[in-house]
Amino acid sequence: MRALTKSLILMAAAITMACGPAHAQKSGGTLVQITQPEPPNLAPYISTSGPIGQVTAKVFDGLLEYDFDLKPKLGLAESFTVSPDGKTVTFKLRRGVTFHDGKPFTSADVQFTIMDVLKTNHPRGIATFKEVTAVETPDETTAIFKLANPAPYMMAALSGYESPILPKHVYGVGDIKTHPNANAPVGTGPFKFVEWRRGEFVRLDRNTTYWRQGRPFLDRIVVRFIADASTRTAALEKGEAHIAGFGAVPYNDVRKLSALPSVEVTTKGYEMISPLVEMVINTKKAPFDNVKVRQAINYALDRKFVIDNVWFGFGKAAVGPISSNFEPSGLFGAGVDFTVPDRIERANKLLDEAGFPRKADGTRFEMVHDITPYGEEWQRFGEAVQQALAAVGIKATLRYEDVAKWLKRIYTDYDYDMSSNFLYNLADPVLGVHRGFHSDRIKKGTVFVNGSQWSSPETDALMDKATTEADAAKRGALYRELVTKVTEASPVIYVHELKFPTIINKQYKNLIDSPLGIYGNYANAYRE
Amino acid sequence: MKTFWQRFLLNPRVIIGLIWLGAVVLVALLADVLAPRDPFAIVGVPFAPPGGAHWLGTDSLGRDVLAGLAHGARTTLLIAVLSTLAAVAFGTLVGAIAGYYGGLIDDILMRATEFFQTIPSFLFAIVLIAILSSSAMNLVIAISVVSWPPITRVVRAEVLSVKSREFVQAAVVAGQRDHAILVSQVLPNTLSPLIVTGSLLVATAILIESALSFLGLGAPNQMSWGFMIGAGRSFLRDAWWLVTIPGVAILLTVLSINLIGEGLNDALNPRLAEL
Repeated sequence: MRALTKSLILMAAAITMACGPAHAQKSGGTLVQITQPEPPNLAPYISTSGPIGQVTAKVFDGLLEYDFDLKPKLGLAESFTVSPDGKTVTFKLRRGVTFHDGKPFTSADVQFTIMDVLKTNHPRGIATFKEVTAVETPDETTAIFKLANPAPYMMAALSGYESPILPKHVYGVGDIKTHPNANAPVGTGPFKFVEWRRGEFVRLDRNTTYWRQGRPFLDRIVVRFIADASTRTAALEKGEAHIAGFGAVPYNDVRKLSALPSVEVTTKGYEMISPLVEMVINTKKAPFDNVKVRQAINYALDRKFVIDNVWFGFGKAAVGPISSNFEPSGLFGAGVDFTVPDRIERANKLLDEAGFPRKADGTRFEMVHDITPYGEEWQRFGEAVQQALAAVGIKATLRYEDVAKWLKRIYTDYDYDMSSNFLYNLADPVLGVHRGFHSDRIKKGTVFVNGSQWSSPETDALMDKATTEADAAKRGALYRELVTKVTEASPVIYVHELKFPTIINKQYKNLIDSPLGIYGNYANAYRE
Repeated sequence: MKTFWQRFLLNPRVIIGLIWLGAVVLVALLADVLAPRDPFAIVGVPFAPPGGAHWLGTDSLGRDVLAGLAHGARTTLLIAVLSTLAAVAFGTLVGAIAGYYGGLIDDILMRATEFFQTIPSFLFAIVLIAILSSSAMNLVIAISVVSWPPITRVVRAEVLSVKSREFVQAAVVAGQRDHAILVSQVLPNTLSPLIVTGSLLVATAILIESALSFLGLGAPNQMSWGFMIGAGRSFLRDAWWLVTIPGVAILLTVLSINLIGEGLNDALNPRLAEL
């Protein structure tokens, strides 16, 4: 039997290899993508709201693209060199590239995009390009980035999703904040923007003069907006829509869809986003200013239960603030292991030591746990946390508010005990990880930064060093030390790496071909 | 002529209603005995179907549905009864004053009542919860704020008709004070429509509470039937019992309250029943 299976596999492999070239990528076809919710605008240079990038990454190119190990590949840049001191980065740009309006792409567009738009307006670009003092353009196909300090993380943030290159002759006219083309994007990407019918769809057509010869294969992309979750599931089930990601389909429906022969489900394509589910603890408030209490809560949490029963298996227990997606680039590190078998005993012991013995009714103290107001899995997560805390004698009351109130409570008023949350690691720890616990990110009123208000000179110094360290191996060592220190102090409890399921119709191939997944450009995608 | 109790208790619809409602009240009172643990406690494998170790199955996190149903009955009934009492108290006060004094006071109070009546009550309740944030107390406040106007109108109409009767005029002549006349002479005679409207209001309150909890606006720390439906609705195709069991409980309870309310109406106004 085993021999038979083996030979079958070999045969299948042989057939696949033999058929490989015969299945040449065909031109044509319309891809229907479901994006949820509808984007507020199509201006990725000014807003990082998730749904925007799912549309505009097809319209705009970046200087670079990335492979699944987060290593840069060439995009609008034909080549690039980083000087030994890390302070000069020279990009050679492709010749003969035109924008969708027919005008040529030159180094002036790069200079304009970086200096006038992203560095000053993009919510993350402000940090990404902080060190860039000038972009010099000695000729039309050369752009030289001059940096005050080395910025290795910048090289990970030059995709068409994160840093879209804009035409200066379009976006340079008028105020960039209220630009008429904010809802009618013009770029160099494989698909041209045609129409946005509000509440229904955005239509993108093939860019026939795309600089990559013979690409894209698809004639058209229609991005549909369907408010009701079960209608989204039904559309994918019937083949009316072909791709959806980022939680557009409820996790329990994903199981049903994955059983269909026409559908495949993948969790690839989020390697450059790396969402991390976490619990932020208010470290300025008693008893959470006590590190033993925070560690006890960290031990009390049953990560496996949460992943299996709240997220239906779409997750991986987190071992620190840095996602395991950074393993290939050497920046990953594991911290203290809070999933040990005797974690409940440890939690109880820590709470006893912290001076909170169990009272007659079995409880130690009461607290309020805020639920992330993002929908029902977060509510169930809150209920699971409540039960986990009850097991070690902490009586937690749940509080559920709307997004605006919740954000104000956590990031402006700091009027909370503990809250669930999820943050993206993004393309580099400098962009996505430092914000969670660096002292310069304790910014009243700025959301998704250091809401726990914890910091230490030691970890600050490690992060500052890692920011400007050009050598990848040395950076990795700094991050491993940082991860150990942060998990020991537990100002934030890292619960799990969220694995968003992407649902794809099997007729369509090569849709997810980069770590940006749905934030990719689909230039290589084709219909069978 | 049969007495009120005979007319009421011998009505078969009332008997059915009382049996079910009595059972629900009993379960609510004995919730701690029937299901001694916290209804939010995770006690088994998630999605266990009814009929196994857990009679009515478990939900998506492994919580016992029977425990939820018992403790949910308590929350649902308590919130419904408290909010109805508050609505009846406030509505009666406003209605009695408006009806008794008439004139400018009546105009002002009734325009205010109409103002509240013109706002769609469920939307208004959602807005109130959004402002107040969700807790059991705020649910009571929101439900009573949206349900007092009908009580006011009923009481005012009754007071208007009662206050022109001879015994009220006699009380005025006898020198009784206004509030004494209202409390001892007028209001007792408005009781029968008040009881009927009030009992039906309990049913409406259950529905509002369930709908708010279904939308995730209910009290997050109290198990309620609406919460159970809201938490189970995404799993309708995987686990029918999560939505069906509390849904049927709400249906039967609201129905039985309506039957009892109608029975009360028939018993208190025998001539109407004969029409």
